Amino acid sequence: MHLLEVENLTKRFGGLTAVNNVSFHIDEGEIVGLIGPNGAGKTTMFNLITGFLKADSGTVKLRGENILGLAPHKIVNKGLARTFQVVRPFRHLPTIANVLVALKSPRGSDKIEWIKTRQRKALELLEDVGLSEMMMEPAEILAHGDLKRLEIARALGTNPDLLLLDEPFAGLNPIETDLLTKSLQTINLDGHTMVIVEHKLHALMKLAKRVLVLHYGEKIAEGRPEEITKNKKVIEVYMGKEK
Amino acid sequence: MRTKTVTTYLSKAYRRFALHILDIPSRLLALLLIVLFLTIPGILPSSKIMSYLLSVLITASVMAIFASSWDLLVGRCGQISLGHAIFYGLGAYTTALLFKHYGLPPWVGIPISVLIAAAISLPIGFPALRVKGPYLALVSLAFPLIATSIVFATKGITGGENGLPISVAGRFFQLTNIHNLRIAEYYLTFLLLLVSAIIIHKIANSDTGVVFVSILDDEMASKACGINVTRYKLMAFAISAVFASLAGGVNVHLLLSASHSDFSLTLSFFAVIMTVLGGMGTIYGAIVGAYIIYFLDMYFLRMVVEIPDVWHILIFIVPVIILVIKWPRGVARFVTDKLEDLSEERPLEERGKWIWKKYRRKKKSANED
Repeated sequence: MHLLEVENLTKRFGGLTAVNNVSFHIDEGEIVGLIGPNGAGKTTMFNLITGFLKADSGTVKLRGENILGLAPHKIVNKGLARTFQVVRPFRHLPTIANVLVALKSPRGSDKIEWIKTRQRKALELLEDVGLSEMMMEPAEILAHGDLKRLEIARALGTNPDLLLLDEPFAGLNPIETDLLTKSLQTINLDGHTMVIVEHKLHALMKLAKRVLVLHYGEKIAEGRPEEITKNKKVIEVYMGKEK
Repeated sequence: MRTKTVTTYLSKAYRRFALHILDIPSRLLALLLIVLFLTIPGILPSSKIMSYLLSVLITASVMAIFASSWDLLVGRCGQISLGHAIFYGLGAYTTALLFKHYGLPPWVGIPISVLIAAAISLPIGFPALRVKGPYLALVSLAFPLIATSIVFATKGITGGENGLPISVAGRFFQLTNIHNLRIAEYYLTFLLLLVSAIIIHKIANSDTGVVFVSILDDEMASKACGINVTRYKLMAFAISAVFASLAGGVNVHLLLSASHSDFSLTLSFFAVIMTVLGGMGTIYGAIVGAYIIYFLDMYFLRMVVEIPDVWHILIFIVPVIILVIKWPRGVARFVTDKLEDLSEERPLEERGKWIWKKYRRKKKSANED
């Protein structure tokens, strides 16, 4: 059984079909890249899968169980968490408290052994993404790169089986990108399957074993990174047609 | 042997006390104020003006409970309610009716009416699940108006515009000397305020309180964290209703009547003014604001400079507007921030944390070990 199975997912905004009849699946332990030009429907896809948008048709199955139409928080508690493309920290709360909110969710608190307090678990998660030094700072003073990592720590707080990352590398400098790549690899080894939407193909290709390409809401290619970079259709979409 | 354990226990208790209260200037100030408020009224000479001053402080304590309950709902959870008097009035009328018809003493009647108000807060909180921000504020304005209409419509039960007076037997204490009665009532309300403030503060700084702030900051991100936002919003409404109706119920047994003004818009706005003046989201700010406003309103303006009541709101509004522009974080928070800046031993990066001091202390004690 696949971890996540998306079948014939469709979403229309008025006359625009943002996601058109897309099917794919994610297996346990994978890192899958999801790429496509701006407006290809990647974020819409995430919003549909995580319940923030209602799909027009199709099915989304997590471990064989249909999750389409459930409230976002219920989906999270079934083990499917996400981060946002534009960071959404809790600005009034200290960094560590941002993670604590996720640990307060039913699934997040389930994972806490009785001897470990929530605070300690939150600190561990911050250490995983390299933010433990900032634990007491209010989230509003964190730099953009830190906020990106905070998003990931917060999503991990719900102990997801599948993590959907929406442009985790956007706005990061090369050093930060390398650091984040390493943390993502560790997180993957800890047993969190990942789907990563990203424009920085260089960083993505290092992580992903499999890449899906969306264009105008349709899946146009799927395969290993080196196949995708040579795929004619993909090059056409990104670079334009050869004359 | 036995004395030794007692002394170690005492020294441990003192260390805790020193670390958690004496070491933090703002807490030390709060402690001094509490001690002051506990001692001074008891030794005041018995005179008419002093009795009046005590009754001002009694009302201030009741309003402080009301304002801090508003602060938990709005300052911490972000569910803007401009009709918070609905809970106050509910507490007042149920308490008065319970006393009038069943003769329940305040110790029984108030807890029952608090539970009733908490139950009614759930349908009242329901719009908060649908509308947000200014729209919720508009919807919340409607509830006290509905309640007032119900009071006027059911004159037979609620007394309509005449209010619902209860007999002298409804007093908390059966004392004939008015000054002693005021002193007893003062201590009762002040202790109630202390207990409520500590409970509200504990809730606001617990993990649940953190979830409340997350809803205030970004509801969508809260949902993405797996938080059942609906449940937490209703929880905030219920907790807030408990303390607001407690204030209303206590006030009935102090004034010996419930009236439609317990549902009034002025009362709702007073909660807003007091909290904003003191500092929104701090809980203690609401209490400081309530004392400042009531002391100025009922003592300074009425007794010292003798300005007619109709001018009071007008006189308040101007300084409040100036204060909000000058110190948007509130008077109380301004004072505590200044105090924290004065204490030199604290590293710079640890200053000005208004939420969650718990963690700062944990870190500090961890560093010491």
